[in-house]
Amino acid sequence: MSEDRWYTMNLTRRAQRLLVEDLPLEDALPTQMPVYVNSIVYLFGATVLSALVALIVTGAVMCLFGPGWYHGSRVGHFVNSLHFWSVQVFFAALVLHMVSKYMMAAWRDGRWKTWVVGALALGVAVFTGLTGFLAQTNWDSQWIAVQAKDALNALGVGAFFNTMNTGQVLTLHIVVLPLLLVLLVSVHLFFIRREGPVKPLERLGRHE
Amino acid sequence: MSKRTEAYFRGVPMKPYDLLKEVLIVFLVVAVVVVIVAAVRSSPDYPTIRGEDVANRQPVAFVETSANILAGNSGIQDYGPPYTPDRDNAQSLFGIAPANWFGVRYRIDPPQDFIIKPLTRLAILDADVATALQAYEAASPDQQQAWLDAYLPALDEATVANGEVDVPAGDYGPVPTLMNGMLSLGRAGLLEGALESSDRLPFTIDPTRSLLFFQDDVYASVAEKLDLLGDQWGISNETGRHPGAWWLWPYTFFYQVRPMSSSDNADLQVGAIMIGFFLVLLLAPFIPVINRLPRWLGVHRIIWRDWYARGDGSRRGTKS
Repeated sequence: MSEDRWYTMNLTRRAQRLLVEDLPLEDALPTQMPVYVNSIVYLFGATVLSALVALIVTGAVMCLFGPGWYHGSRVGHFVNSLHFWSVQVFFAALVLHMVSKYMMAAWRDGRWKTWVVGALALGVAVFTGLTGFLAQTNWDSQWIAVQAKDALNALGVGAFFNTMNTGQVLTLHIVVLPLLLVLLVSVHLFFIRREGPVKPLERLGRHE
Repeated sequence: MSKRTEAYFRGVPMKPYDLLKEVLIVFLVVAVVVVIVAAVRSSPDYPTIRGEDVANRQPVAFVETSANILAGNSGIQDYGPPYTPDRDNAQSLFGIAPANWFGVRYRIDPPQDFIIKPLTRLAILDADVATALQAYEAASPDQQQAWLDAYLPALDEATVANGEVDVPAGDYGPVPTLMNGMLSLGRAGLLEGALESSDRLPFTIDPTRSLLFFQDDVYASVAEKLDLLGDQWGISNETGRHPGAWWLWPYTFFYQVRPMSSSDNADLQVGAIMIGFFLVLLLAPFIPVINRLPRWLGVHRIIWRDWYARGDGSRRGTKS
C-alpha cells in the first residue's frame, strides 16, 4: 500500500486535514467579516442558538427534579415558564432565520449542504416540540396525545411512536431528539463556519 | 483562513468582527427577554381530566362513556391498526394505507380492556357487581346488545342519587349495576389504576388506555370550551391566553379547507401535503422556480442594501 493511499484511508489523518485545512481557527472563530455582513438578519441564527442553549439548560434543571416538579412548585413552574418561552423564542427566531436565508438564496456557491442540514434540523425541532407538549403531563398532553395519535397512525408512524406512552415520549424529548438536534445543529454550524457567509446576489440591471 | 475561504472572499472588503462577543450579547438579550416574559406571563398548566373528576362532576357522561364502550361504540372499537385488525378502516390515499403496513402493534379490545377487566377487579370487592358481571357474561351477545340498546337511550332521562346513576324502569339486565360499578371505580379514583393494570406494575409509564377511555365525547367537550378542537385550529392553540405551537399553523390550516375538512382520510391527506412541503423546503436549492424566487422577490435588496449602495465596484455577487 502506498503512503498516499495509507493517508487517504487513515480516518484520523483525514479528520486532521478537515480541521487544519478546512476549518482553521480564523474560519472557526473569525475576527473579520465581509462588509456585506451588515444586517439584523445575520443575528437570527445566533438567536436560535441562544434559545436552544436556554432550552437545554432549563430542560436539564427540570430533569434534575423530575417530570412532576413544575406542577406543585412555584420555582418549578417558573423554570417551566422559562422553558416554555425559550421554545417560543426558538421557533420565532428559527422561522425568521429560515425565511431570511431563503430570501438571500443562501445555498449558492456550494452551500446547499448547509441548507439541507438546517432544514432537517427544523424537522427534528418541530418533532421535539411536539414531544415537549406531550410530556407536560397536564390537560394539553392529554388532548394533544389523543389528537396527534390519529395523524401519526395514518402515516404509519404510530406503529413505532405512541403519543400516549409517556415513558416513550419523555425519553424521546429529553434524550434522543435533543441529541439528534444538537448533532444536526453542530454539522450546520461546521458548514457555516467552513464556507463563510455567502456573497450577495449579483446585482442586475434595471431590467433584471 | 483556509485556501477555500481566502479564494472565495478575494477582492471583498473585510471589516473587524468578534464572533464570541456577538454570540454572547445575543444570548444575554435572549436570556433577559425570556426571564422577563416568563415572570410576567408565566406558562400554561391546565390540570388533567381524571376519571375521578368526570365521575364526580359529570356522572351521567361517565356512565354514558362506559356504556358506549361496552356496546362497541368506542372510537377505538373498529379503529384499525395499530389497535385493532380492521384494516378497511385505516385512512388511505390513492389506495395506499400506511397504517396497515405494520399491523396491530398495541392490541386493544375496548369492551374487554376498558370495562370487563376493570369490573372483574371490582367484583372482588363488590358482590353485587360480581353477580351482575356473571349474569352479563353468561348472556348471549344478542342479549347483551339488547340490554345496552335499551339502556343507552334511557340515559337521556337519567337522574343521579346517592352516587349512582338511575334510569327509568326497563329491561336492562345487569347493565345498570355494571355501569354504576364503573362509576364507583371512577369516584374512588381507581379507574386509571384498573385500566393500566399490567405485569409492569407498580411502574405505570404508559397511560395509553386511560387516555383513550375518555377520548371521544368527554375530552372533546372540554377541548371545545378551550378552543382546542381540530376545526378550531386544534394543536396550534394553547389553553388560556398563552401562545401555542403557532409554527404548526400551516399544518392545522389544511384541516380547515376542503376536501380535508370533511374527509375521513384528512390526517393522511394533510400529512402527505406537509411531507410534500417539507421535501420542497429541503430540496429548495435544486427546484427550478423555487430556487429563483428569492431573486424575483427582491427582499435581498433590503438585506444587502448597504452593499449595493457602495457603488459599481462593490456590486459583485453570485447568481442564484
